Amino acid sequence: MSVDSLVVELLSAMTTAGSLFIIAAGLTLVFGAMRIANIAHGSFYMYGAFLVSSIVSSFGGTAFWFSLAVAPMIVAAIGIVVEVTVLRRVYDKDHLTQLLATYALFLILADLGLRFWGAQSRAVPAPAILSGSVRLGVASFPIYDLFVVGAAIAVGASLWALLRFTLLGWRILAAVEDAEMLAAKGTNVRLLYTTVFALGAFLAGFGGAVIAPLQSIDTGLDASIIVAAFIVVVIGGLGSVAGAAVGAVIVGLFEALGILWTPSWAPAYIYLAMIVVLQLRPSGLFGAAETT
Amino acid sequence: MGQTGAPNNKSQLCAPALRVTPARVGPAQAADPVADPAQQAADPSAPPLGAPPSNPRWARQDAPVVAPMPAAWSAGHALAMLGLSTAAALAASYMLSPVWLLELQHVAALALFAVATNLLVGYGGLVSFGQAAYYGLGAYTIALAWLHFKAPFWPAFIATPLVGALSAFMVGLVALRTRKLYFALLTLAFAQLFYTVAQQQYELTNGATGIFGVGVPAALMDPQIGFLFVFAAAALAMLALWKITVSPFGLTLRAIRENRARAQSLGIDVFRHELLAFVLAGAFSALAGGLFIVHDQSAYPELLDWTKSGEPIFMLVLGGMNSFLGPALGALVYQISHEVIVQHLRDWQLVLGLVVLAIVLFMPDGIVGLFSAERWRRWLARPRSVGGGET
Repeated sequence: MSVDSLVVELLSAMTTAGSLFIIAAGLTLVFGAMRIANIAHGSFYMYGAFLVSSIVSSFGGTAFWFSLAVAPMIVAAIGIVVEVTVLRRVYDKDHLTQLLATYALFLILADLGLRFWGAQSRAVPAPAILSGSVRLGVASFPIYDLFVVGAAIAVGASLWALLRFTLLGWRILAAVEDAEMLAAKGTNVRLLYTTVFALGAFLAGFGGAVIAPLQSIDTGLDASIIVAAFIVVVIGGLGSVAGAAVGAVIVGLFEALGILWTPSWAPAYIYLAMIVVLQLRPSGLFGAAETT
Repeated sequence: MGQTGAPNNKSQLCAPALRVTPARVGPAQAADPVADPAQQAADPSAPPLGAPPSNPRWARQDAPVVAPMPAAWSAGHALAMLGLSTAAALAASYMLSPVWLLELQHVAALALFAVATNLLVGYGGLVSFGQAAYYGLGAYTIALAWLHFKAPFWPAFIATPLVGALSAFMVGLVALRTRKLYFALLTLAFAQLFYTVAQQQYELTNGATGIFGVGVPAALMDPQIGFLFVFAAAALAMLALWKITVSPFGLTLRAIRENRARAQSLGIDVFRHELLAFVLAGAFSALAGGLFIVHDQSAYPELLDWTKSGEPIFMLVLGGMNSFLGPALGALVYQISHEVIVQHLRDWQLVLGLVVLAIVLFMPDGIVGLFSAERWRRWLARPRSVGGGET
């Protein structure tokens, strides 16, 4: 294999990793703070992509930038409704109840999405400035792929800054450590949870929005992405944002390798990656052991 | 405090010691009283000062996945149940139209699938999100043997639980090294591996198309005989499962669910018990998949998909996972309402989602819980004061 095709493969792996990271970051953040494994996160992602397609198709291609900001906000608003009405009631319940509650939300949101957007798949054109490809060094890259990687890096950096430098970030980290103590110190943990959940939903919506021009958008996107997102999060260790980044890169690379080596087995690679990682580290790469 | 039925995980932990019939208790009996004083001392059911009622910290520690099991049935109950259901099945086979008999074949297969899954989820506290792998493998065992070797039905059918047990053994060896959510997702990953094989390996499995028109003995194609066969097979399998749940093994499994660390410190080999439970659930799920072939004569990748793994979990929650036959009742309600609703409404998932939400939020013991005497006793004896709980 020549060097430039290898580089192109690498970039496509990083594009996959980038989009997976944006989604997985929200998922792992919510899990870290509230210990909720949110299956409906996949629905938020799908809604993000659908909202972008709706906005672009009604306001034209230039509305893409606008939709990139608005779609995630609408999704975050849906997230707030979901958190306040349902999830709040299951925080003190066991794992199975929580999983079932979010799975139920996933089913409800899937059918509502189907009602709203219909069954046929949609496509969103990338804005002119991001379409085409650019020649860098040895190979030429699709610009949009670079944009996705850039967006993922921006999300990662913002999350890092949020958790490192802001009061909200410190509170989130404190909630991960010990929500009880945080509440005793006077923080409104209930409000904090709603905020974290809205942030997670925002990230899922943003992930869907960013990826919209790269793939056909249809119902079923929710089910396919949530499994991949969970694998990323589990490989990295539940609750760890840095782990999600590493997990996303691992999954992206494994998938690219799979497509390169044995295309018909490609979908199996990410499951194998997860199985291997969990054998070596049963709580993921950066995860704390689940105590029992 | 622990008796009020307040929705607190720790207080539920104390309860089962009172419910399990002492005569039958093996290691579980020894397990329960030990940690009680410590638990009373550390009982966190009193809400912390100024804290929000929701507190994920406690949920993360040793929360049981389900509420305690009611006392096991006596053998008399089981025999009566068996006689009643046989009579009901015979009556149904003469009274119902072939369409409904075919539907009930599916229900019986799914009921066994749900009851087998409940051995893990309800009795073992092991939430596997990959049980469709074994259900699908059971169906594929017969279908592949027919497709590639023109194998007759019966040997393949008898092989289904063995295939299920063997694959569950290999998966369990790996997956049971992890806990809780990691376990759920690892079992899901293995199921997706099987799904990938079924979907992508066209020469082996016909890929996404699936295998149709699998050869089944002519007699079983008759709706009435087919129904009686599927029903009898499922009933016998459930009887075997019931014997397992009341055996010392089954009780030990519950003890492990209630408190792993305690069971471990008493010298119980937790891993072995959980592995055996996983293997048994896999074997019976595969048998259920074999029964599905009698109903449908086809095997296709969706039988292995993770959304299919969600079905038995919905059924057992719907029916009530704290009773042995609750999941079977759940399968009946689930499948029949599915058939009825999809004829009139395209939002089946919406209805299902709302029902599941209502159940997990308001009636954690499912349909069976509605009829249990204990529920009414608890309701009558509920504390009238403010702050008695939010369920």
